[in-house]
Amino acid sequence: MTFSVLGRTSVLSAVLVFAGCASGPGSIYVPVGEQPTQAPEPPKANTDDAPDSRVWRKSEQPDEPAQPETERDSSSPSYSASGDTLSPAALSLVRQADNLLASGDTRGAIARLERAQRIAPRSAEVYFKLSQAYVAADQLGSAEQFTLKGLSLAGDNARLQRAGWLLLADIRRARGNVAGADQAEARAAAL
Amino acid sequence: MVYLDAVVTSRFEGRRFEVPSRVYARPLELYEGASVGAGALQQELSLSGFRKGDGVAPGSYRRSGSRFVISTRGFRFPDGEEPRRRVALTIRDDQVDDFRIVSGESSPIVRLEPAQIGGIYPSHREDRILVQLQNVPKLLPATLMAVEDRNFYHHFGIAPLSIARAMLANLRAGEIVQGGSTLTQQLVKNLFLTRDQTLLRKANEALMSILLEWHYDKDDILETYLNEVYLGQAGTRSINGFGLASQFYFGESLKNLKPHQIALLVGMVKGPSYYNPRRNPDRALKRRNLVLSEMEKTGLLSSQEAAHARGLPLGVSEKPSYSENRYPAYIDLVRRHLARDYREEDLSSAGLRIFTTLNPAIQAAAEESVRDTLPRLGHGEVRDKLESALVVTAKDTGEVLALVGGKKPEFAGFNRALDARRPIGSLIKPFIYLSALSQPDRYTLISPVKDASFVLEFDDGRRWEPKDYDSKERGEVPLHQALAHSYNLPAVRVGLDVGVDVVAQTLQDFGVTSSISRYPAMLLGSVSMTPVTVAQMYQGLATSGFNTPLRTIREVTDAHGKALSRYPLEVDQVADPAAVHLVQYAMQEVMQEGTGQSAYYTVPKSLSLAGKTGTTDDGRDSWFAGFSGDYLAVAWVGRDDNGPTSLTGASGALPVWSRFMAKVPQHGFAPVVPDGVGYHWVNDQRQALTDEYCENARYVPFITGSEPDREVSCSGALQKRIQGWFKGLFE
Repeated sequence: MTFSVLGRTSVLSAVLVFAGCASGPGSIYVPVGEQPTQAPEPPKANTDDAPDSRVWRKSEQPDEPAQPETERDSSSPSYSASGDTLSPAALSLVRQADNLLASGDTRGAIARLERAQRIAPRSAEVYFKLSQAYVAADQLGSAEQFTLKGLSLAGDNARLQRAGWLLLADIRRARGNVAGADQAEARAAAL
Repeated sequence: MVYLDAVVTSRFEGRRFEVPSRVYARPLELYEGASVGAGALQQELSLSGFRKGDGVAPGSYRRSGSRFVISTRGFRFPDGEEPRRRVALTIRDDQVDDFRIVSGESSPIVRLEPAQIGGIYPSHREDRILVQLQNVPKLLPATLMAVEDRNFYHHFGIAPLSIARAMLANLRAGEIVQGGSTLTQQLVKNLFLTRDQTLLRKANEALMSILLEWHYDKDDILETYLNEVYLGQAGTRSINGFGLASQFYFGESLKNLKPHQIALLVGMVKGPSYYNPRRNPDRALKRRNLVLSEMEKTGLLSSQEAAHARGLPLGVSEKPSYSENRYPAYIDLVRRHLARDYREEDLSSAGLRIFTTLNPAIQAAAEESVRDTLPRLGHGEVRDKLESALVVTAKDTGEVLALVGGKKPEFAGFNRALDARRPIGSLIKPFIYLSALSQPDRYTLISPVKDASFVLEFDDGRRWEPKDYDSKERGEVPLHQALAHSYNLPAVRVGLDVGVDVVAQTLQDFGVTSSISRYPAMLLGSVSMTPVTVAQMYQGLATSGFNTPLRTIREVTDAHGKALSRYPLEVDQVADPAAVHLVQYAMQEVMQEGTGQSAYYTVPKSLSLAGKTGTTDDGRDSWFAGFSGDYLAVAWVGRDDNGPTSLTGASGALPVWSRFMAKVPQHGFAPVVPDGVGYHWVNDQRQALTDEYCENARYVPFITGSEPDREVSCSGALQKRIQGWFKGLFE
């Protein structure tokens, strides 16, 4: 059972590692120190659009990384259509973790991935990777939870959604949850 | 004699390895895009023991404006060695830019060595870094013997000739003026005896020295001496052994010391306080040069080397800014976590290395926010009695980054962040509405809820009549607005409708472990919690329904870096992310239109935040819990005697919270829309879909299928629509 999970997660890992070369998250707020704050901007008209649903083909990589849609409207709550992409720093840690996993050092891999998670906490990929490491450590309960967390950040990225649901299906099947696995597979197929 | 023998063997064996544990802050990670201000980086460097200098010598950095060149010393982390590197970077808009490795192994990310933020000491408060004789530069023991005990390798513990010489001098003077002690005797004196100088003690010392030499070989004794000798004082902590002294005086490890530095340390053995190079540099310099001359006489240095060394300045570092009690509240929490897995005596003697999650820059901002804000709250006598607590965590990791336990954060004492259990008031409301919104067939964000008073009669005849804070009744309000404005009556009605038990279960799912009363009054927050528990509970709201256990420790290793325990990241889905997303919408509305609005007096409007106020009767407790994209913070303000204040959540805790949020660079809150949630333009008064440019149109998230199916168009639609198009252009 676990073997089949590992089989699919390694396919997943190839998908993920190519995914991430992109700039870091969106703009960062910079505090103004002790100066008096400027008057708030007047409210703007609402420009939030329903996020376009993007169509991904298997062979296609996006030219432009999906930018989190954090365009802020001062009068309505914010949301974004997808999580952050991996920065080069986080990606290098993920690659180190891959090497450690390949050499059987799951503990080391998890430590690297936690470092990556701290600097890229809103990237679905990092959680899928953690899930993969916990599969290797034979802690399927944790693996399932990290997959769910990753899925919660996949947003409208169909490629990540699909990878996540398939991973979840495998983990659930390995845990003996056949119904849950079928459900997850159906979600992947519906994308 | 038998007694002395037992004392010598047992104490020598027992005490040789007592080393305090070292507690480290989280290491700063530097990479392109890392969030850190120039001031914070400089502070971090100084906390980690970096010197301002050329940026070439390991442990030094050079700053010109916003450009930094940092030369790291390298550090052994639990997950591997971080090698020495030279790193160049610029800080632009509070972010690392132009990050380059100038020399050393290339890497897109570098960890600085972590600041030591505390220690766990044995009761005698001795601090040391153990060294092994084979790793000590040969010059050190050689110099020590040249100055203190030339016959060390040949005598049997005492040197009668030296003693006779000393006795003579003492008799002449009528008091004890000379030591003439061997290194063995000095060690015995340090290890076993009190400091008063009596003849009986002298005799015991001699006997015990002989016994020590009888049982142990010379190198054992020498190594113990090197680790035991007293070399200074830092507050109540004593600096023992050359290993720590080298760090303490030069910021260098022993193996890197130059001859003039070795000479100074050996010279200080005679009187660490009298020859303290920081307080008495002239005396210390004289003493050091005397030692250098001895080294020359005994052939340890050539006369050229000695002359060169004598010409050098003392080379002592600035007094380490580290003080063991800088973060008493935080260390308190660390110790409580450690107590679950370690015995106190292991912590204070086994030389463990404890890697915590404390972020010094965030901690500094948190302390300043409490310290600066409290004196401006309330008035008169009440103001003096106000106390506060602040907990800050990393939103997605559950790591506790900062903890403030009172308005004087530098003093240990009652730790309000951990021990003040107070009713949470309206902080409970998001959990009531979450319980309701988890039933999308019954509740949506625009469900009308009744804001009208009612009386609840219990079986025993008691009556309960909840009131709104302003005693007004508004008829029917949409659910999101009831949360944003924290109306009491709708919350109680919704809570009773979904069931007190269901709400209590939600709280438990989100990590509350204490028992929760099932009386209806709990719906107005009569349940008591500590600020840290509130932070735990809100973590799940901030992370879209994933309970993430709070952590203060990443890893514990033994003195040699071998991992003993790891406290890994854990996540556990406890609520439907879709329902949590709706609550997050309303919690953002709290900040924009509701009870949290005044945060934006302090915080720039561009930083999107989500949060909730909490107030209990007569302002006894003022709470604010909320989060940005990166951080979750919980602030409490109130009195230790539980007396009334004139504060609300918005006027007491919120100013502390927003001041903190304004101080740290961070990302705004913009949650990813989860699967199964769609945004729609609605008229929330009429519970219907509407056109984007109609008046009263709001863009609101719904769990798919729960959005209204009715549509209303606004009257004079065309004209309104045209107005709508222009609105964005001219405002």
